[in-house]
Amino acid sequence: MESYRKPVKSDCEALLSRFQQTQSVRFEVFSNIWKEMKFVHIFRQSHNKRAFCRLVLDVAYCYFMPPFSFQIRVGGLYLLYSFYHCQTTSPPEQIRVALKDWEDVRNFEKESLDAQHLDVAYILQQLMTCKAFLFTAMPTLLHYSRKRTEEKPELCDEFMERPCRPQELINTQLSEEMSNIHELYKNTKASISSQMSTAAAASVSLIRGGIVLELCSAVMEFYNWQQNRDTVDEAQPSQERISSQQECSNRATLLAAIKSKAYEEPSEAVKSRRHRQVEIDLPAEEDKSFLKLRHSRVTKPSLKNRTKEQIHMSGDLGREAARTTLINHLVTLEPALQEKIKSERRFKSLNEHLESQTKSTSH
Amino acid sequence: MAASEQPAEPSSSIPDYEFMNLCSTPFHIGSFRDEWLKRLKPENVSFQPGDQDSFEARFAAAMGVGEETMTELRSVCSVDSLLCHSGDQEPDPEVVPPNATLQTLTHREKQNNKPQKRTKNRHDLYVDELDRLTAGRLPETEANRLPEGELILTINIYFPSTVEKHNLHCGFCFVFTLWATILPNFPQFNHLRAHTTMLMTGSHTLADLRDAVCCVSDLQVCGEFSSTPDMAPDFMSKDLFKSAYFFFEGVFYNDMRYPECQDISSTTIDWAKSHNYPQFSTAKMEDTRFLDLKVKVGYPYLYCHQGDCEHLVIITDVRLAHRSDCLDTDLYPLLTHKNRLVTQKCSVCHVFIGRWYTTRDQFAPSDPCLFCDKCFRMLHYDKEGNKLGDFLAYPYVDRGAFN
Repeated sequence: MESYRKPVKSDCEALLSRFQQTQSVRFEVFSNIWKEMKFVHIFRQSHNKRAFCRLVLDVAYCYFMPPFSFQIRVGGLYLLYSFYHCQTTSPPEQIRVALKDWEDVRNFEKESLDAQHLDVAYILQQLMTCKAFLFTAMPTLLHYSRKRTEEKPELCDEFMERPCRPQELINTQLSEEMSNIHELYKNTKASISSQMSTAAAASVSLIRGGIVLELCSAVMEFYNWQQNRDTVDEAQPSQERISSQQECSNRATLLAAIKSKAYEEPSEAVKSRRHRQVEIDLPAEEDKSFLKLRHSRVTKPSLKNRTKEQIHMSGDLGREAARTTLINHLVTLEPALQEKIKSERRFKSLNEHLESQTKSTSH
Repeated sequence: MAASEQPAEPSSSIPDYEFMNLCSTPFHIGSFRDEWLKRLKPENVSFQPGDQDSFEARFAAAMGVGEETMTELRSVCSVDSLLCHSGDQEPDPEVVPPNATLQTLTHREKQNNKPQKRTKNRHDLYVDELDRLTAGRLPETEANRLPEGELILTINIYFPSTVEKHNLHCGFCFVFTLWATILPNFPQFNHLRAHTTMLMTGSHTLADLRDAVCCVSDLQVCGEFSSTPDMAPDFMSKDLFKSAYFFFEGVFYNDMRYPECQDISSTTIDWAKSHNYPQFSTAKMEDTRFLDLKVKVGYPYLYCHQGDCEHLVIITDVRLAHRSDCLDTDLYPLLTHKNRLVTQKCSVCHVFIGRWYTTRDQFAPSDPCLFCDKCFRMLHYDKEGNKLGDFLAYPYVDRGAFN
């Protein structure tokens, strides 16, 4: 069942990236994409239905949580809603919400209400009403399984919310207060210095004069740079971007190949290029293969398979060797003896039958 | 002065990942439940499903939208908008549609085309459906009804570990070492599978969990019984060795219900003191409810009984009760999953599970040899019950006795 995690994740990411491109948060838009991709077929022909539904809901749940952008979180909510209602298990598998994530869910609801996104709020509250949520300690069941998985949970870069911590820190309220305090300080300093000798006044300068203005301009610059980076990324011809990155990754792979020959160990992808794996296909595969080589166990074929390949027995013995040993064969008779007894029994029963018939006719 | 508030003190009752996807930080279960109940309204926790019309009325009132908008909203957000075909045209859900673009479906086809590893037997067919028997089951009387806001814990109990037992000349250990040698593919600690998965409520005590755990070593009978085969059932280890303990987060919870119970954790505690380990403490199993425990979710703990039969115990999930759970408290502790073990059958009839284990037996085809009760008595005793021939017989409990 774990093997389905990757394909389900990539399907969800495909749906969410299409949703992201529409720049909308309407459920109508989402359901059109869903219908187009025929997503409801994801539940077809699943043998272990309950486990699959659990997996699908767990994968969709992570898109509902920060650090993704608001639009992606809305997409995650719609995904959860759709999976919950289209699932084929009965009673339905619930959506697990951990205690640590409840605050984020509440904030999300508040944001959507403030922005008057009626369908988002409707869907979220409807899920609450029909008891789709399960209130748990941790988002998934934990078994302390220490399997060696080479991929750490990679969060899609494009879905992430643009960091806005500078703006949060230096907002208008803060800058107003700072400028007030700055004024106060300047006035106090001026009044003190007028009382003291003039030479001392100029030497005591602990802060920059226009600190508030500088802070605000720095934040604006950062914000503009973020905006420009997004637009420039789309504007630039994609070929150019790919080729420059391909060059870098080709160089990286060359270096890696040289290193591997030197140390006889496959090397990892260069750190700076790792986060770009989502966008480009070709280098990503190569990088991933390096990662895989390093972590996978070398498995020898089992004794049974080795014996099958190397030793060949013919005839009855071979046929018997290929089958699993049946414990009752340890105490069964030889086939020839068994046949003899069977035939004797047959004749015996026939004799008895004849005898009984003669007896009955004689009576 | 920063615009954002200082983050509140990380509460120890809100669990978070200690190691990602591995286990959580330790938290007190009772206060975890209180934290959830603080944040939720009573209608969120109740088992009654909400009424759609009243929900819509409340929503319309809260948002200040008219009837038209509500109808539009209802139609846009309905589940029908997600289906590709209308209800009666639904194609066969067992067949993967052609031209599937989803990666999941291509993966599924690949998996289905792989040769099946082994045929499913009757037990495997039903083992996944155990929870269906009890899901949503209502109690006979109101007193047995699971209260809303009750906690449900999912606990995995694992097979006992194999330890190479040293050869003591005692029937009990003799059986154990031979058990290990006849069945060499006994699972080691490295490839653990859960033996049983249980659901318990927060108000159950650890003693209830202990009683619910079924381990074959409880049924072991020590001693050689060839001369007195009828007396064998009187000496079960379950009745002789009643001491047991659970170990959670540095505290040993001992079973002290019976006068024969001893504090078997004291040896470990004394040893730990002399070897500079942090101090462990003890408590009583029957006085501790799950609500009083402070544990990590997903972290392995220990259950020890019979002196040296140790089981790993992992609490995989702690959550509030939901209406699709079994609501009858009589059925708890509830078994939701039990692993099937291959049983050794009698070497004569190959039908019944082996109950007797003989060595140095002149009648047996092999040494040692397993017999079911009937075949054993037929072969080794005459009509009056006198022992025929020369042999040693030990009562045998198969690993799969609890299938």
